[in-house]
Amino acid sequence: MNGTYPQLEIEIRSERCNHCINAPCVRCCPTGASHFAEGGIVLVEHNKCIGCGACMASCPYDARYPHPDGYVDKCTFCIHRIKIGLAPACAAVCPTKCIYFGDLDDPNSDVSVVLKKRKSKTLIPEAGTKPQLYFLI
Amino acid sequence: MEEELLVSGRMNHLIDPQLNIWHWQIPLYLFLGGMAAGILCIAALYFIRGRENDYRTAVRITPFLAPFLLVIGLITLFIDLRHKLFFWQLYTNIRLQSPMSWGAWTLMVITPVSFIWCALHIKDIFPNWDWKFKWIYDIESFFNKYKKVLAWIMLIYGIILGIYTGILLSAFNARPLWNTSILGPLFLSSGLSAGAAATLILSKNKSERRQFARIDLVLIGIELFLIIHMFMGFLASTQVQIEAAKLFLGGPYTMSFWIFVVIMGMLIPALLEFMELGKFHIPAIVPAVLVIFGSLMLRFIIVYAGQVSRWLY
Repeated sequence: MNGTYPQLEIEIRSERCNHCINAPCVRCCPTGASHFAEGGIVLVEHNKCIGCGACMASCPYDARYPHPDGYVDKCTFCIHRIKIGLAPACAAVCPTKCIYFGDLDDPNSDVSVVLKKRKSKTLIPEAGTKPQLYFLI
Repeated sequence: MEEELLVSGRMNHLIDPQLNIWHWQIPLYLFLGGMAAGILCIAALYFIRGRENDYRTAVRITPFLAPFLLVIGLITLFIDLRHKLFFWQLYTNIRLQSPMSWGAWTLMVITPVSFIWCALHIKDIFPNWDWKFKWIYDIESFFNKYKKVLAWIMLIYGIILGIYTGILLSAFNARPLWNTSILGPLFLSSGLSAGAAATLILSKNKSERRQFARIDLVLIGIELFLIIHMFMGFLASTQVQIEAAKLFLGGPYTMSFWIFVVIMGMLIPALLEFMELGKFHIPAIVPAVLVIFGSLMLRFIIVYAGQVSRWLY
């Protein structure tokens, strides 16, 4: 929310992992538990994570949190669904279909097509993280 | 009606007002590690320079604190881990990009080295010490033969340990307050200063005490210089770092930082040591305890304030 009454604007975002190309959480992980899965999704390997919290401190989007079992957890982009050809749960359940998912390397994927047609932005690009989550504006 | 309690672990600022992952364990460890690094660096440096007899306490006695500091530090680090049973993963991976990995391996080297250094000087504390077994005497004479190599390892790894405690934080670009390369040298000099203060307390030799009061004075000067530069850097940087500096310049950490760290931990002990070097008689323990307290508070305040500082978006 931004501005002075009555000129107010509101921005609604789905806050989550930005699956950065230059992910600080992967860089600072002392055990290699934080890693890039095939396709660029940032994941945590639970049995390698020691729960030190370095990745949580390193994330400018505060996208990570400790799972009650101890390891650090985050948005996986529903990789278990993607692997069998389904869309991530957030995109699948969105009643207004405002979340798009797809392969940025494929020019014909849903995301590539919509990003070509519409204006978009990423969050704090000046943090140097090269996020792969785009917000349509 | 059945009620359901939802438990969320989210660290999102829209749910939690700020990042809240590191509590007392991390700053306490950063202090203990930094002080141990300071003690070991000073001991190694004076041994290498052949000043062992002039600064006997610093080379032979004060290092006995280091293994205790390091082991307590390791315990606090272990307490901090949330997935404790997997801690050994630190030692099955070498991750050069991760300061925490550097730190884990540095501790793996310097902790045993500090134990060996103490074992070589155990007769200074317990004159009748007997190792009982011949093979232990063999190991002792081996390390005595290569004591200079041991001292070099101790010096180099001591410096890495002292600097890494700062780099650990400064590598996090997500927390603008920590994201300054001054933090490495600042924590190193603060650790050295705490290490010098430990000798100031333990030494019974007047000329050694005067020397360590002088060292402490120089180190406090360096720390003040680095703190001023840190703020100059912040204020000349982007909005997020200006906001970070404001935490200490009118913000919630202003009083604690300037009173506990700068005035009580640096300016007052510097003044007392200056007077001690002049004509006044001041019990060495007073400035030394203040320096150690300031060094501890520096870590606490930087770690807590850093978690408040964030990107604006």
